[in-house]
Amino acid sequence: MVTTKEKPKPRPKVPKPAPTVAASAPGALPIRDERLARDGKRRRTPSHHDVNPLREGLRLERVPDPHVMVLFGATGDLSHRKVFPALAQLWRTNLLPTDWALLAVGRRPYDDESFREDVAGSLHVNCRIQLEPDMEKDFLGRISYIRGDFADARLFDDMTERLESMHDDYQTGHNVLFYLATQPSAFPEIVQQIGRCGLDHERHDGGWRRIIVEKPFGRDLDSAKRLNREMLRVFRETQVYRIDHYLGKETVRNLMVFRFGNGIFEPLWNRRYVDHVQITVAESIGVEDRGSFYEETGAVRDVLQNHLLQLLSLVAMEPPATFEADALRDEKLKVLRAIAPPDHQDVGREVVRGQYGPGWVGGEQVKGYRGEAEVDAQSETETFVAARFTVEDWRWSGVPFYLRTGKRLAKRATEIAIQFRDVPHRLFQDVATDPQPNLLAIRVQPDEGILLRFNSKVPGLGLEVRPVTMDFTYGAAFSADTPDAYETLLLDSMLGDQSLFTRADEVEAAWAIVNPIHDAWLDSPAPDFPNYASGSWGPEQAEHLIERDGRRWRRL
Amino acid sequence: MNGPVEVANPVIGKPALRWSSRARSIAQIEAELGKIWTSISLTTSNQDGVPERHVAARSSVMNLVVVAGRGEIGERVASIVEGLTGRHPSRTIIVSSADPDGPAWINAQIEAHCMLPSATAPETCSELVYLTCGGESGQHLSGLVAPLLIHDLPVTIWWPGEPRFESHAAQDLLPMADRVIVDGSGWSGDGIPGLAALAQLPNRFQLEVFDFALLRQARWREAIASSFDRPGLLPFLGHLERIEVRYAAAEGTPGAANIVRPLYHVAWLAARLGMTVVDPVSAGTGAWSGYDAMLRHDRKRIPVSLRPIESAAPRGTTLAVELYARRGRSELVLEVTAYAEGVVVMTSLDDERLPERRFLAPRRREPDLLALTIDAAGRDSVAEEVLAMTATLVGA
Repeated sequence: MVTTKEKPKPRPKVPKPAPTVAASAPGALPIRDERLARDGKRRRTPSHHDVNPLREGLRLERVPDPHVMVLFGATGDLSHRKVFPALAQLWRTNLLPTDWALLAVGRRPYDDESFREDVAGSLHVNCRIQLEPDMEKDFLGRISYIRGDFADARLFDDMTERLESMHDDYQTGHNVLFYLATQPSAFPEIVQQIGRCGLDHERHDGGWRRIIVEKPFGRDLDSAKRLNREMLRVFRETQVYRIDHYLGKETVRNLMVFRFGNGIFEPLWNRRYVDHVQITVAESIGVEDRGSFYEETGAVRDVLQNHLLQLLSLVAMEPPATFEADALRDEKLKVLRAIAPPDHQDVGREVVRGQYGPGWVGGEQVKGYRGEAEVDAQSETETFVAARFTVEDWRWSGVPFYLRTGKRLAKRATEIAIQFRDVPHRLFQDVATDPQPNLLAIRVQPDEGILLRFNSKVPGLGLEVRPVTMDFTYGAAFSADTPDAYETLLLDSMLGDQSLFTRADEVEAAWAIVNPIHDAWLDSPAPDFPNYASGSWGPEQAEHLIERDGRRWRRL
Repeated sequence: MNGPVEVANPVIGKPALRWSSRARSIAQIEAELGKIWTSISLTTSNQDGVPERHVAARSSVMNLVVVAGRGEIGERVASIVEGLTGRHPSRTIIVSSADPDGPAWINAQIEAHCMLPSATAPETCSELVYLTCGGESGQHLSGLVAPLLIHDLPVTIWWPGEPRFESHAAQDLLPMADRVIVDGSGWSGDGIPGLAALAQLPNRFQLEVFDFALLRQARWREAIASSFDRPGLLPFLGHLERIEVRYAAAEGTPGAANIVRPLYHVAWLAARLGMTVVDPVSAGTGAWSGYDAMLRHDRKRIPVSLRPIESAAPRGTTLAVELYARRGRSELVLEVTAYAEGVVVMTSLDDERLPERRFLAPRRREPDLLALTIDAAGRDSVAEEVLAMTATLVGA
């Protein structure tokens, strides 16, 4: 194992973080309480109580505590495409603490300088707003690199030493945020090593330890349970942040505000008024250079088990009592548990799988899935799945939720559509076209916004009814810059807010729903793949799935 | 030009004039505004000259009434409002008066500016009414404006220049407003009388007050607050011993420069830190002596000084905010300065310079500030506290 010789330039030291706050500042605790915690022994964690009174009314009323972030898999695609650009944006907008540093961990041979150059290159390509040169230099200067194999205990011993010196250099109060941006297979050994070195221990003087884990959280129910067990053997659930980046998207976060911040929609949000719900996550791209990953994953594991079921639970959940992480996650969990896992027969009837063949997307001829790099020429991996679920609870019983996702579909679009029931009585019987049922569509991407369709009389002497739409588009309504989902989620993890992260029991409940699908497919004859052309909206069977109920997919 | 205006090639994201007509009475103005949505040409030509149909939608988010006073202010305001068409479509009524001693008359130019937000989205349009009134008409603004407001939408009154809140026109107009926007940094003299009157508006008329002068300083506040996010420095906030704000002036005589912005800095710190005013600001006796005040924090008295510095910057511009704190044996000095693109914080702790920190935050211009006030939802309790503290500071 090689570690870089160059140490980050130490910053002039400031005094040790003071355990007390301004005596008269709002939120300050009496001095005695500062010194003694409830049992009279443990000193309190300063981060949760030290309120900066000048922060009120500013963009953030609380900023992250000083900390070191340890990024495993720092040389990988995810880190370069998403994590570093998100961190750079947080740095650019002064949302990272001044006393912040990042220790990048990877297998490739870099030293601090060459790794920083590599990150700089990625930032120039992937940042939505470029950093000023001085700012970029300052940001990159806080990144150090350590090389090693995750299976090698020496890497973690060296890392522990390195962290100690970074805590001193950057006055981070011993706060550490671990980020596992590696292959999932590496999670258990990394977590185990962190535990062996005692790096998971939150300190009595306030230093917190948190860990961010990237999906997939396992590849089936058993492996998810195993992974959770490994994780929770070392960390407590309150320290674990499982990222599903869909939950960080602005429109998804707005879904909660839309539902629970407006009085007019919630009374209609139930089986009495809603006919059905459609949730679509459509991608126009193929598997790109992730063929081998996708061969092991497929659409069910890649999107249905996490993004789609998370969106479904946000649409269907009851209002939480408070807007706190566990209250929110308890309600989502109840929804997942109210979805009956399909049996073999249900899978045949309610779930459709597909795989794309060659075709045309966006005016370009593209290969079929079996022709992609690192993909088996006889692959049976699904690149499309459509399913019909029902949430059997008081609110939703009998209302179908149609979910679909696929690669190489006609366009990139993610949308949640609430289709309301038809009017109970056709009053306008003589009109040429029947009034259409009302529709509420929440566009997650692109053109983030919300559309409401209702019927209106066409002006004139006759009586003609036509649907019209009220269309709210984020970009047109707010001048504020919309943060990327990773910026939101990284900031939340630094602030210790788990609301937008999935809990272990949620992950397991989602696997319990999709596991029977895989089991049924294993017992079924080989699928007739490819069964849809690239650039289409998926296999014909997906149309039949919904048409059988007298409904149709929305054309996006 | 009277009626719809043809646009050959609409450019996405760029507002275009789609309607223009004139009127000489309120009834005529109402009729013209109604015609826009029935008669405006919804057909445009694409680059090949082929007609294309775009749906124009009036999606107003507010009524904006601008009390322009003079015609040239109205033109400047109109160009700012036009720039916001896409994001904040509104019905804007720009009122200016002329010939106050002559007979009563009204002259109005009615315009619609539309913008294509994207290739597939419908056009969004804003209505603009330039209303010039002569004679006694100018004394009855609410009677002119009220019939032209879109009901159920909030009414924002933007009062550029120097508002006279005690005038008949203001007393007439303010009761119908939900928000009032001013720019205290442009007021004549030291600006103190205007501040005292402004601070009374929220309670008197149940409206929200936005002062561009205070909004512009958000970047200073962000930088100062961020400096105390460091756990090592936060405790010093409870031990401030002196506050000094230096501002640009051309001459040293008190009253020669507007001190609204320097006052806002002090008022914000005092309000947020729970200080009280012992002695309101008073002008010093000598040239360049500026203004002094005394605050109290717990039992400690904290002297405040506003110091004029000869500078080419516009009069009253804040040049630096300096905070001095002592906690035990430790001394902290925080000096904050700004430049066009950001704010710089220099910190010394026990004479040791900590690394300088730069906050990239460009100086906000009027269109950004107007957009910000429109985006703002609900009451800004911090701004209200600052305004109230400012009033106390100036002895109102």
